[in-house]
Amino acid sequence: MGVIKKLPVYLEHFPGGGIVATSLDYVLSQSQASSIWYLLFGTACCAIELMATGASRYDFDRFGMIFRASPRQADLIIAAGTITKKMAPRLRLLYDQMAQPRYVIAMGGCTVKGGPFYYDSYAVEKGIDHIVPVDVYIPGCPPRPESLLEGCLTLQKKIKKQKIGDWS
Amino acid sequence: MDKAALTKYILDKFAGKVELLETGKVEPVFKLENEFLLEFCKSINSDETLHIDFLCNIAGVDTGERFEVVYSVASVKNKIRFDFKVVMAYENAEVESVQSIWPGANWHEREVWELYGINIRNHGNLTRFLLPDNWDQGYPMRKNWDAPDFVRMPES
Repeated sequence: MGVIKKLPVYLEHFPGGGIVATSLDYVLSQSQASSIWYLLFGTACCAIELMATGASRYDFDRFGMIFRASPRQADLIIAAGTITKKMAPRLRLLYDQMAQPRYVIAMGGCTVKGGPFYYDSYAVEKGIDHIVPVDVYIPGCPPRPESLLEGCLTLQKKIKKQKIGDWS
Repeated sequence: MDKAALTKYILDKFAGKVELLETGKVEPVFKLENEFLLEFCKSINSDETLHIDFLCNIAGVDTGERFEVVYSVASVKNKIRFDFKVVMAYENAEVESVQSIWPGANWHEREVWELYGINIRNHGNLTRFLLPDNWDQGYPMRKNWDAPDFVRMPES
């Protein structure tokens, strides 16, 4: 990570190095956006839609997206389902264990704002943006697989716009 | 044993100590004194006619003025069911643990303690299991409970 981040700095000292650095940006962001591996994190009904999206009818694989059961090899976490206050530290832990650059999609009403548990609930976290930074919000209860695919396309657009220098 | 016979049997057996409440639409509901709880449970458990061997549920109730703990019990062998409750004042509410009779009471009693703050005497393992371990915002199922991010349903 450190070397890649410094590459544009070194390259730009050479004649034509700027073009190489820009192309490197392009190639890296394209390949990163086209091979998002996401961490399994389904806690409630939204997870069923997530599974449906991964299954043959909606076919997540065409984005190069595959399930990972380990945060170490994942660069996206799709929080699908109700996040309770008891679950929140676990979500944060998994997020912290993921390698950078990492992204978060909040899928469904519960993860976005507490959903139907917004009122009269002592146990449900009202929005996972209290716990982790969210890149894309997907509304719905639960959102259809098409919405999730749209959310992923939005995330891909975001990734493709990134420069290597933006990586933190 | 049908509902009427069951009610009569219990009222006769524990005359003066157990009172029948009108609220029982499906199953009879009895009310008894807090001090009599453990003795009553032991008695219905060992009684041959009743043989209450299964504790279905323990629920806490906050009516706004007092606490209630409702026990739903059944007999698998005799196919009977009924509920009974103990009523106590809001301050220093506590009941005796019935784990010695039905070990399954353990989790139910922890729930009652955790969500209503009703102390369970002789429980032995009153630790949180629904709320986070470091929970310090009181007892969420109480009527007057409040927390910074708690949003009450607006009156419609």
